[in-house]
Amino acid sequence: MIPYDRAIAVVYDAIDVVNRQLPAARRLRKAPDTVIVGLGGALDSLGVVNFVLALEERASAVGAKVALLDEDMLLEDSPLRTVDSVSRYLAERMA
Amino acid sequence: MASSAQLHLVGDFNLDTLGRYLAHTALDGAAIDVAPPGPVQAALSAGPPAPDWIGVVWTRAEMISAAFQRALSYEQVDVDDVLAEVEAFASAVARYADRARAVFVTTWVSPPFVRGWGMLDRRPGLGVADLLARMNVALADALRSDSSVFLLDAGRWLTAAGSRGWSQKAWYAAKCPFSPGVLAEAADDIAAAIDGLTGRARRVVVLDLDEVLWGGSVGEAGPLGVRLGGHDHVGEAFVDFQRALKALTRRGVLLAIASKNDEAVALDAIDRHPEMQLRRDDFAAWRIDWRDKAANVAAVLADLNLGAESAVFIDDQAIERERVRSAVPGILVPEWPADPCLFREALGALRCFDAPTITIEDRARAGMAAAERSRRASAAASGTVDEWLQSLDVRVTVEPLDARNLDRATQLLNKTNQMNLSTRRLTAADLSAWAAAPDRLVLTFRVADRFGDSGLTGLVGLQFAGSEARLVDFLLSCRVMGRRVEETMLHVAIAHARRGGAAILTADLIATPRNGPCLEFFKRSGLSSAGATRFTWDTASPYACPAAVTVSEPT
Repeated sequence: MIPYDRAIAVVYDAIDVVNRQLPAARRLRKAPDTVIVGLGGALDSLGVVNFVLALEERASAVGAKVALLDEDMLLEDSPLRTVDSVSRYLAERMA
Repeated sequence: MASSAQLHLVGDFNLDTLGRYLAHTALDGAAIDVAPPGPVQAALSAGPPAPDWIGVVWTRAEMISAAFQRALSYEQVDVDDVLAEVEAFASAVARYADRARAVFVTTWVSPPFVRGWGMLDRRPGLGVADLLARMNVALADALRSDSSVFLLDAGRWLTAAGSRGWSQKAWYAAKCPFSPGVLAEAADDIAAAIDGLTGRARRVVVLDLDEVLWGGSVGEAGPLGVRLGGHDHVGEAFVDFQRALKALTRRGVLLAIASKNDEAVALDAIDRHPEMQLRRDDFAAWRIDWRDKAANVAAVLADLNLGAESAVFIDDQAIERERVRSAVPGILVPEWPADPCLFREALGALRCFDAPTITIEDRARAGMAAAERSRRASAAASGTVDEWLQSLDVRVTVEPLDARNLDRATQLLNKTNQMNLSTRRLTAADLSAWAAAPDRLVLTFRVADRFGDSGLTGLVGLQFAGSEARLVDFLLSCRVMGRRVEETMLHVAIAHARRGGAAILTADLIATPRNGPCLEFFKRSGLSSAGATRFTWDTASPYACPAAVTVSEPT
């Protein structure tokens, strides 16, 4: 499997974690264009923290040591903006 | 179905994520009120939003005991000082519990990176781990007599969540030291406990045979040729799974079989295979033939007088699982691993058997079910129903509600669906308080016959008001329905109503989707109908006790 596919699988695992904390109508779609942080995102600040913690834990389990819980990461143009962008960010570190 | 549970979360750290797991997954639709995080004494003093709310109290040991906090910094502390602080916390929880429907209190845990004194950490009077263990035992002891308070094991949640269960990053970022994995485990356990409290624990496991209780096909391999035990890891796994099922029967869970097989061959294996842990008497009912699996599961449940909501069905074949899932609504059909080595773990992961009490009746239920099979066989061999009832030698013992039978009476009140007049659900404390009023009377009924003792299986609650006695509770376990115990309970209730000065007894049935049998009984009981669900009896006339039943009422 190429790193991007592995990375997006990790992101989807993290989505599974936060979706259990969300009402059915607000659950995140497992799709590359799903917004995580910023305008159009379904997560509040606690939801973003929980998503990032889950993502770091799962990324660590596949050998990608990343620290995503950083103020810069929570800005509009951060790698956490969408499923696709965070997957690319992770893939670079998993290669 | 949306949950109607109402939970008040009280903690000294941020419990919002736990609240989200509860509200959106574990107890979908539940009302959740999270007290502001911080020292819990104020929230405990304020109590829950209303008396019908359930409290969840989750604290860290160092926030409850200043002395324990000092011990974490290797200061010398007096164990008695620590235990006094635990006692004060337990008292606050008990006062909170007086104003709540029930309270779940989590045990205290320590982060894996706290190694305390290393090799000395279990030394009494010194070690942090030793002190924490003593705190948990002291908390459990202090709350033991409060029947509405339950300790939940946070240590298991931490273990289940793995090495990252305790997260300092989560603490720094969200003021909650636990990973989502721990909180999800906690939410699922809390939901299971609430199911138990509200009488929704499952009561029977219906099992397939081939590739579930043993490896291979008994029809092909023969009764002694199936894969079970021996020097074989898969055979060992089947033995272990059977032992786990047998252990479950000691919690009051029945076992039954629905299998496509030749009955004689399958029962031969159960009777004769030397490694079988479960024998014929361990099964309350079975259907072993070539008919539709869903129809056979339904027939087994009918034999046991249990609804689908009380049952779990385990089958190795996905197509059979799906068939039963769709044809028997309400039954729990878990996905089942293909590898027998995972069976015991899969059974343990089912959180559907939790009950708030364990009674003598629970421990004896499997034996009672075997007696019931003998009873059914005798009924089939008898000429008429009356002859069969006469041959049973049914004996009913009537006792008032007291401390000795309170747990079982509460369990019956909360689990009985079919023969239940009002289907009201109460905690032990609430039932005891209700019965203590001078204008009320709660009677319990123990039932035995020549096949065995069915234990405490009936309950009547009477409320007196002027010349009227209202039958508030009238419930009978489905295990003894149809043995004229229902009529016997009415006979006793009416006698007590008259003795208490009431000229009339009234019974108002509150209809539910499942208490149709109770309505049918009252319709044919001989009581006067006053509307579709109201029944009355003039107590000037005694209500006859069935001739086939002997009643004793110790004075």
